[in-house]
Amino acid sequence: MSLNFYRRVAFGLSPHEKPYKDPLNWATNQLDAIPDFLWPGTIPTEKELRKKYGEWVYGDREVLRKKFKNDKYAYRKAKDELRIKTGERYFELNEHAIRHFQTKYSKQPVFERFWLFWGNHFAISEKDFLAEFSTGPYQREIIRPNMVKTFEEMVQSVTTSWCMIHHLDNSESFGPNSKKGMEWRETINENHARELLELHTVSPNAGYTQEDVIQLAYIMTGWAHKWDRKNLETGDIWFDQEMHQKGDKIVLRIKYKNDGKRELAKVIHDLATHPICIKFVSTKLCRHFITDEPTEEMINPVIEAWNKSNGSLIEIHKAVIQQAYKYNEITHKFHPPEIWLMQLSRMFDLNVPLSFEKMNYSFKLKPNNRQRQLSWILREIGHSPYRAKQPNGWSDLEVDWVSPELLLRRFWFASVELPMLVKSENRSHDFILSCLKNNFEDHKNMASLIHQFRFGTSDKDLGRKYGVICNLPEILKV
Amino acid sequence: MNCTRRNFLIGGSTTLFLSGYFPKISFASMQKKNLIIISLRGGMDGLTAVPVIGDKRLKKLRKKLILEDVLNLNSDFGLHPKLEIFHKLWQKNQAAFVHATNIPYTGRSHFDGQNLMETGAHIPYKEKTGWLGRGLLASNIIGKGLAISLPMPLLLRGVPQNNNFFPSPDFVETKLIDQIYNEFKGEHNELIKSTLDTIRQRPLSMQIATDSDDRKKLALEAAKQLKDQSGPRVAVFDLDGFDTHAAQGGVDGAHADELEEVNKIVTILHENLGQAFDNTLILTLTEFGRTIKQNGGYGTEHGYGSAILMAGGLLKKSQVYTDWPGLKKKELFEGRDLNSTIDSRAVYNSAMSICFNQDPDFLRKEVFWGDHLPDLSQELFKI
Repeated sequence: MSLNFYRRVAFGLSPHEKPYKDPLNWATNQLDAIPDFLWPGTIPTEKELRKKYGEWVYGDREVLRKKFKNDKYAYRKAKDELRIKTGERYFELNEHAIRHFQTKYSKQPVFERFWLFWGNHFAISEKDFLAEFSTGPYQREIIRPNMVKTFEEMVQSVTTSWCMIHHLDNSESFGPNSKKGMEWRETINENHARELLELHTVSPNAGYTQEDVIQLAYIMTGWAHKWDRKNLETGDIWFDQEMHQKGDKIVLRIKYKNDGKRELAKVIHDLATHPICIKFVSTKLCRHFITDEPTEEMINPVIEAWNKSNGSLIEIHKAVIQQAYKYNEITHKFHPPEIWLMQLSRMFDLNVPLSFEKMNYSFKLKPNNRQRQLSWILREIGHSPYRAKQPNGWSDLEVDWVSPELLLRRFWFASVELPMLVKSENRSHDFILSCLKNNFEDHKNMASLIHQFRFGTSDKDLGRKYGVICNLPEILKV
Repeated sequence: MNCTRRNFLIGGSTTLFLSGYFPKISFASMQKKNLIIISLRGGMDGLTAVPVIGDKRLKKLRKKLILEDVLNLNSDFGLHPKLEIFHKLWQKNQAAFVHATNIPYTGRSHFDGQNLMETGAHIPYKEKTGWLGRGLLASNIIGKGLAISLPMPLLLRGVPQNNNFFPSPDFVETKLIDQIYNEFKGEHNELIKSTLDTIRQRPLSMQIATDSDDRKKLALEAAKQLKDQSGPRVAVFDLDGFDTHAAQGGVDGAHADELEEVNKIVTILHENLGQAFDNTLILTLTEFGRTIKQNGGYGTEHGYGSAILMAGGLLKKSQVYTDWPGLKKKELFEGRDLNSTIDSRAVYNSAMSICFNQDPDFLRKEVFWGDHLPDLSQELFKI
């Protein structure tokens, strides 16, 4: 088995790891239990951060906007102070550190790759202040615990999470015949229903109609955040019967009797176990780990494992890994910038992320440049993980990641920024050679391409070496 | 002869000039025409950019936002003082405005609205390509899109081989690419390899550029590329910050700051496109306008109808093109927003038809699913 398997399903081997005797076993054994977070610094809860979100939004909207209505300079200044006080500019940086620390040091890196996959399948795109306060904890507290349960359970948790409901506006969706809908002459907002069908479960392959979307939106009415004057939209999720559309509903030819709160679980059950959903999600998994256009032969064993285990994600993940293993030598997969960065950090033991002591935050000054570094790099290489532009998340297709500037940004990172992230004890040429040997069969050819720079150890020399190495086809792809 | 000598010289080829007489149509078709779209994210307030003059109701509802010193356009409309270049070009028939217009979207969500302004569709997230990308593809213009942004904007998606320009914070030694270029072997590396080709063939100015925080530099480089007869035909700029819920202000408020950015880009494009400006159309794009009434924070909320700011030599004349719906309560959309009486996609479809030399009806079918979008080329552009 080629060494690239460690990058295909994980992040490559760190200098402290050696190739494992049975790579397939090594990989599938990582999927039964949820690894703890390793980050020694603060890991705030979703609830704490939602409270901060509320303080920020309330402070800005209800206090500052009124106070400084005539003075944009004073308003901006006060807003900046509020940002510092509520950690508005900090928490996303901390989340990135938690995430990258995990992928760098985890003993179950294969599990972590699936974690990234599901976070992106149930993507929260850039909206309001979700990236700042919510997407990180959502991925930690909603996505992750469900990875040892069934797909259906995952969909249930995601669909009723505060983050997804806010993201897709379900709080603004009123059954037109509900008490509040009639009183306020409000109607449904279809966003969440549409994405539940299109992106999260059955996909357009199921041939649903606009009427199906509307009917599903009716079922979903009432699942909303509890609004109050002080918390604004950051209240907990509950089921508001007074927003819920009364009457029976029909989605994909199945009738759901008027049953209030219980309708949602029933329809999610049917969607999450729908054969087209199973095929759609299995295909996406294969696309992520095997190749952009996976074949039926690649996908079918995953579907079988899904059916046999009634959607157990542990079994599904194992089947995906087996397929990735089986096709490792004959397929290619391009890695998007964030995974590339995580792999470089693990393989070359880079100083990414910053140590937890240095990530501590006082809420008195704005985060410093060092604290912002990782998030800045992610943005500059075009893959700020919580800021996908649309609810379909980041693309898994090579064609979406290959543009002149996006490739140039990788050269920029590897040749300009990366040298500053090399640990002082790792600056020798031999260190690079040993890392290459640890991870690539073809390491001799790779080494020959940087041979001419071998005597140099300055940042500039390191920049040339890494600039070349990190952009080779072997590293951009498996 | 329709074609004036001045115009003819702009064509640039002396041999052709010497060979004498050319009907206007063949002359026009050999000119490269540029279409530049500037996305104004956040909801641009058409009534701040192109205020209606002397409307008592507006004065009453926007006490703190009313502009003094507006630039004069005509008896009905003025221009925000920060949009100087448009005023200057207006004198030369090279600036115009479409007012009370918007994409057919009334939901007031940035999120959905920005998706729809780029896809040109009716249902958010349903389409995965942009109207500009589809227009280029339908016109068989491949590899001529230039995005001034790092990700390829949705607006341009749908046509392959677009270029983008958004240089990294530091200089990149592109000769490193030469060292690894030959390592990209086999069919599965073709896409990267051809993209590396695009990078290697870049003019020096694009190669040595750094610092995408400086919008001036980006616009300057875009102008340089657009001016090149074999360069891009389409460019997309992205601006945000138009979502002024507070301290929107008048002449110096938060909205004015954003309009100043638009003004800067257009000024740089105008100065540096030189004569190519005569064969250029610049149009703005936004997701919605803003409420008539100011809010408690002297800002405005998300609305509906807005305006399109236009500049370039391909405009027919200076005008505010509008079917003005009025600002009385019953004339407003849902009693609060300037209505939209022109589907802005009709303007974009007509602009594409001019710049891509295509039949507007054909484009309408290929790009906008045959939606009812009247051809406005006659009214707005030089044909």
